[in-house]
Amino acid sequence: MNTVSLLNAKPAPRRRDATKAYCQASAVLSIVIVSVILLTLLIQSLPVLLSGDNGLFGARWNPDEGKFGIIAPLFGSVFVMLIATIIAFPIGLLTAIYISETRSSKLRRVIKSILELLAGIPSIVYGLIGVAYLNVWVADLFDLQSGRIILTAGILLGIMILPTFLTLTEDALSAVPQRYRENAKSLGMYRHEVFKGIIFPQAKVGIAGAGLLALGRALGETMAVMLVIGSLDRLPSPLFNPLSSGQTITSKLGREVGESAFGSVHFSALVFMSFILVSITIALTILSHYFLTRKQADV
Amino acid sequence: MFKARNRRHFSEQCFALAARLSLIICAGILLFLLGSIFIQGISALSLEFLFTPSSSFGKSGGIFYQLFGSLLMVLVAALLVLPLALGTALFRNSYNNNTGLAHVMDQSLYALNAIPSVTYGIFGLIFFVNLLNTGISWFVGSIILAIMMLPTVTLSSYQAMAAIPKIYHENAAALGLTRTQIVRRVTLPQSFHGVVTGLLIGLSRAIGETAPIMFIATAFSGVTVPQSLVEPVSTLPTHILELAQQSTDPQALQNAWGASLTLVLLAATFSGLALFLRSRLNSEGHQ
Repeated sequence: MNTVSLLNAKPAPRRRDATKAYCQASAVLSIVIVSVILLTLLIQSLPVLLSGDNGLFGARWNPDEGKFGIIAPLFGSVFVMLIATIIAFPIGLLTAIYISETRSSKLRRVIKSILELLAGIPSIVYGLIGVAYLNVWVADLFDLQSGRIILTAGILLGIMILPTFLTLTEDALSAVPQRYRENAKSLGMYRHEVFKGIIFPQAKVGIAGAGLLALGRALGETMAVMLVIGSLDRLPSPLFNPLSSGQTITSKLGREVGESAFGSVHFSALVFMSFILVSITIALTILSHYFLTRKQADV
Repeated sequence: MFKARNRRHFSEQCFALAARLSLIICAGILLFLLGSIFIQGISALSLEFLFTPSSSFGKSGGIFYQLFGSLLMVLVAALLVLPLALGTALFRNSYNNNTGLAHVMDQSLYALNAIPSVTYGIFGLIFFVNLLNTGISWFVGSIILAIMMLPTVTLSSYQAMAAIPKIYHENAAALGLTRTQIVRRVTLPQSFHGVVTGLLIGLSRAIGETAPIMFIATAFSGVTVPQSLVEPVSTLPTHILELAQQSTDPQALQNAWGASLTLVLLAATFSGLALFLRSRLNSEGHQ
């Protein structure tokens, strides 16, 4: 009976697969969203690109005179990012080494959870801490009138990217197989030699990925930087003076987008800045994904 | 020989010292951050603070409508993102034959993750507030937050789907289920936890976002419960922003700390739930 019924059973009629269509539509919509965002930014940057004599690639920003130089905030962004990097990367790397070489899985888990909690503190709260403490401390330390300077923003940003960098670097270090360490140690190598000779070469691609991702975060961070950097539209003088007030692209956007009229050249210049920012952060993130996934494929 | 050994020993000591020192610095930063938020916040926080509306530009009173606005906005964002993220993740898992479309989609999600939060705000301002002429609207804020949550929720759902043992699919297929039936009966129920985890992580990030919503969805004072989709609300992050800018006023600063602690606790609740869910399901998975 079974054989007969199986033979007689008709294949299920092919009807239009609603679920499949739905999933395809969702996937396409996700792509459309990204394209619309990028296109919107690009189209809205056109007015400033097409209007001549606005000093777009100069250092002078003055909407009343029609000067929209993006160099000062661009430089500020890079400068603040560099300070944050100098603070966060060595501390993050050394701490990651400590955690990954302790080999107490319980301690690792606890630290990882805490790091996740830290990464979850909203940036506006970091900003408040910066305004309430860091600001004042930096001003006292360097005997300045106001602590709203590039250095403060750099330190705060360094603290903010530390959890991201630390946790990803630690992942990269822990991914190096344990027996490599054991072999190296049994050859009589000291711990720093094991790290330099064995672990770092294996993990460096992953660490580079972590670094790039952290850089992307640092460039895109808005609220905390905006509250402590002082918002001064000028290049610092001398150029690498961390004790002067400054401006980053993000702080500029945060301060001025609400005040500029939609459709004006001023607004368009801000959108153009944001477009540059997005291009850089997307490039950094895709590059870091490339590194991070290559690391997994290797191990 | 002896000298060389000494130098190696010295480097080793330095290395160990530097690592310990870094750990101590990190722990110090951690204690300082959490300590300042809790100690400053706890003195401002009370039930009364949570349930009274703010008055005289946030300097006195509580944060009731800010709390309400924040929760409303992120919960609606979660509802908006859920169907899209599920569909996208399912597509990636069940219907993707390594097509070009899937590759473009992956890169799009990475790009969404990379876009700085302030840019989302500018995009919302251009596209919704001005081109679609919605005006300042909490619902637009929800849409923007939903877009920001999309990569997180999609990737978390997708990872849970990819982790379903292959044999489940094979068994279901051997029983004669069609692909749609497999999706509905196997993939979705088995990856439900990943979807929820992703949503919770997305919520915990979205509730603290300031830059994307400050141009498009919020007003600082005089806002109560919105009567329609196109009205502004007040939220905790934008409230803290306003108060932080009056940081010389101790009363404003006090309220800012209270609002900050509330915000951090909310974010920690969402991510704590996600961690709990993940660890519980991980331990089940090992059996």
